[in-house]
Amino acid sequence: MSLIKRLSVVISFCLIASCETLETKQEAFPSFYDENRNPVSMVIVPAINQTAAADAGELVSATLAQPFADNGYYVLPLPIVSQIFQAEGVVDGQQTLGLSGELFQRVFGADTVLYVTVDQWETNYVILAANVTVGMSYVLRSTDTDEVLWSYRAQQVVDTSADSSGFILADIIMTAVQTAVTDYLPIAYQVNSMAVATLPYGKYHPLVGADGEAGVISARLKQEAVDELGQ
Amino acid sequence: MKAKSVLIAITLSALGACTNVSQGGYYWGAYSPTYFEMVKNPSEETEAKRLEALTDIIDTSLEQDLRVPPGVYAERGMMYLEQDQALAMRDFQAEMESYPESKPFIERIVSRYTNQ
Repeated sequence: MSLIKRLSVVISFCLIASCETLETKQEAFPSFYDENRNPVSMVIVPAINQTAAADAGELVSATLAQPFADNGYYVLPLPIVSQIFQAEGVVDGQQTLGLSGELFQRVFGADTVLYVTVDQWETNYVILAANVTVGMSYVLRSTDTDEVLWSYRAQQVVDTSADSSGFILADIIMTAVQTAVTDYLPIAYQVNSMAVATLPYGKYHPLVGADGEAGVISARLKQEAVDELGQ
Repeated sequence: MKAKSVLIAITLSALGACTNVSQGGYYWGAYSPTYFEMVKNPSEETEAKRLEALTDIIDTSLEQDLRVPPGVYAERGMMYLEQDQALAMRDFQAEMESYPESKPFIERIVSRYTNQ
């Protein structure tokens, strides 16, 4: 192939893929495939709420145990863990950011800590259209070494616009109604699923260790989550 | 090893035809909805529903020869603590047996909340 042809192929591929670097699970998160380092248990701190919705953090926290347990990890019992945090006056994960892994190990005996940040929990109206958006960042940190083992940012936008009825006012009302009743929770579940799909399987998953080649993981989203946590 | 994993996966999907078994191999029952209700409207009723859901998960898992999901025994143990410490201890033991990595945490809870 001539140089020009090759160049144009590369350029068009870049444009299509927006120059995204895509990795497999093992490329993105190698520590999970190393027998000496792979984590087994995780303690999930209360969600960090960066949205205007006061209850977003609490709601999200309640959705997290299941997807991570399903991915093969021992997730410390959430109700008991949050009781312990509440007793210490911790209601938002933000308050735990300065704590060392060593402390988490001492109190919970967990290999890792999971920080989930809710940064989008909103409805957006744009003329006749509307959508509900939920966006969250996940960072899993080792309590042994304090390094980030896994991170991802996921977002789901659900279009709640009414199908055009031909009458603008009716459309606006219908959109508003659909948007108002859109339950944020199912969307939060979806966002969790999208993120957990990038997480290597843990000890209790039937296919643990066999998913190294799987996953199309955006290095950008991986980094965004870490940047957001600011650590 | 890979063949074994495939076999396990196939068996689990076959099991999935009997009950609602997740891809991780667990029966979750009403785990999420009852947790939400309890968080949003803490009351004796929502707590009772939660206890019911946890018991359903445990019973069904034992019946279907599935592992009880992480934290379920421990949570039920906490709920039993006030009325019956022996029952609570049984659940805490079960949690530690299913998940050895839970030991440090469960032992801590036991010493903190009971007189054992």
